[in-house]
Amino acid sequence: MSELLAEVDGSANGLPPAPIEGRGPGQIAWQRLRRDRVAIACVVFIALLVVAAVFAAPLCHLIGQSPYTPDRGPHGLSPEGIPIEPSTHHWLGTDDQGRDILARLLYGAQISLLVGVVATVLEIGLGLVVGTVAGYYGGRTDTFLARFMDVVLSFPFLITALALVARFGPSIVITIGVIAFFSWSQPGRIVRGQVLALRERDFVEAARASGAGDLRIMVREIMPNLIAPVIVYGTLLIPVNIVGEATLSFLGLGVVVPKASWGQMLADASNQGLYTVAWWYLVFPGLALLFTTLAFNLLGDSLRDALDPRRGGALRGR
Amino acid sequence: MTEGPLLAVEGAVKHFPVRGARRPGRGGARVHAVDGVDLELQPGETLGLVGESGSGKSTLARLIAGLQPLTAGRIIFDGQRMDGLSRRRLRPLRRDIQMIFQDPYGSLNPRRRVGSIIGDPLAIHRQGSGAARRRAVQDLMEVVGLNPEHYNRFPAEFSGGQRQRVGIARALALRPRLLICDEPVSALDMSIRAQVVNLLTDLRAEFGLTYLFIAHDLAVVRHVSTRVAVMYLGKVVEVAAAEALYARPTHPYTNALLSAVPVPDPRASSGREQIILTGEMPSPVAPPAGCRFHTRCPKAQSICAEQEPPLVETGTDSGHLGACWFPVQPGEDLIAAIRSGPP
Repeated sequence: MSELLAEVDGSANGLPPAPIEGRGPGQIAWQRLRRDRVAIACVVFIALLVVAAVFAAPLCHLIGQSPYTPDRGPHGLSPEGIPIEPSTHHWLGTDDQGRDILARLLYGAQISLLVGVVATVLEIGLGLVVGTVAGYYGGRTDTFLARFMDVVLSFPFLITALALVARFGPSIVITIGVIAFFSWSQPGRIVRGQVLALRERDFVEAARASGAGDLRIMVREIMPNLIAPVIVYGTLLIPVNIVGEATLSFLGLGVVVPKASWGQMLADASNQGLYTVAWWYLVFPGLALLFTTLAFNLLGDSLRDALDPRRGGALRGR
Repeated sequence: MTEGPLLAVEGAVKHFPVRGARRPGRGGARVHAVDGVDLELQPGETLGLVGESGSGKSTLARLIAGLQPLTAGRIIFDGQRMDGLSRRRLRPLRRDIQMIFQDPYGSLNPRRRVGSIIGDPLAIHRQGSGAARRRAVQDLMEVVGLNPEHYNRFPAEFSGGQRQRVGIARALALRPRLLICDEPVSALDMSIRAQVVNLLTDLRAEFGLTYLFIAHDLAVVRHVSTRVAVMYLGKVVEVAAAEALYARPTHPYTNALLSAVPVPDPRASSGREQIILTGEMPSPVAPPAGCRFHTRCPKAQSICAEQEPPLVETGTDSGHLGACWFPVQPGEDLIAAIRSGPP
């Protein structure tokens, strides 16, 4: 046995043994992901979007535009009060107030990403805890929590959102809260299903035989096996939440003017039928939303493939 | 350490409710997985536990390991009653009783490094920390024949035999006194099996272990065990010293089981006939009345269907216990009895 091992190490042929570092599931997934061109394109796009959102203010300064101050000159609005089409002055045209669309898109990216990521983190966190507890303990705990998740799922999303906004007024906190509350039970159910299978595995029994308590088993034995599905599901939830924020803002329930949001821009563009004369007002926020959701969705699919242990060799490309 | 057996199982019973339609029936059908088992393990011995699948071997192992509560009966470890203890009170006892699992793939968490898996019992019982624990884990890896430098590898990077060694190292981490081996080599290749069995035999001497060794491979059990117990449908039907049981089995079921062991020499096996049992093992949901084996036993008489035979001294060897109304006598030809048909 030891000769065999020595051969593998290279210590048999006089070389110093190479340091042995295990290639973990994460590393294998990363190697697969690196060979996936679609995934890389999505990562690049999302990275650019994040940079654009984080540095929205300096970028706007650079192009000499403001998202809030209307251009009162001849390039802002036509004499009839119609937005001006894309030109060298305003690259993506202006909106109904004569504001620069590109600048508003950059600031809108902040809102979209903030809501998308924060709501997703909240949903995943809540879903992970509730799903794990329900699946692990089973019995009455499970029945209660599973029914509760069903109830949440059957709540009418828009009506509750309307009621909450009517009571507390629109704000980004309410937006995130409403979105998170309505979507955590989906990941919760998925986690519960996985835990139901995981808790029957021998390694859980082995941990119990070693004297591990419930909390330790849930955190150290079960949750590491949930990382892959949670990452995939989280990535797929982000675009859903971004669209959710856009929907709320479109209906005037989300981000408050003058703050910019893609959904709110879409609403403004369609409200007075402005898009019939100013296509850019509708098209650019729409494209931003489309490409962002597409990038996250494709990345989620690629991650699912990369993290799938059943998918053959680590180094096999697509 | 007190005098007497290291482990005593007294009248252990484990019933599982049958999950019928939606909810487990109250007072409804129950699987009689373990149905009144008495066993004793002396310090330092290896008790082999054999039987068909479904005979309750693994359930008995889980009861002794404290992984499942008993329906009835008592389990006494080193003079201390351990059934019905709360989880907190059970924890110090867990240090003394560890378990090796059958499936070397399922019993190691695929998302954790083997160093952390082996060190887990130490972490749970707060023994050592940091470098000391790492050192202890690497020592354990060396003891079980693993390269300590593979500390940072994941289970997927090991072969089945190596994984089973990881499982053994984990079980040894707390220096237990009783090691329950639940089919430790059944999932392994023939070529690896011998290595792991020999490792277990060496470790028994090195660590002063007592084994409960569960297997359905009778040859392996004979090789490692000092005593052997045979289970059928949730009951122990025969217990004896290994040589006595293999040489002079008294229970008809044991006879049938032993005759089914393949003999490597074709000339030796040609003169030998297998006792072919008719029928299937009855369902443990509704075990037969009287002796559980009477539905398939070539020697069954009317009393066998009516009264359950007690586990008493049989045969010529002392300490040879059997539960049969009509034990097989030395020289008796059971095959002829089958040929002539049931009496």
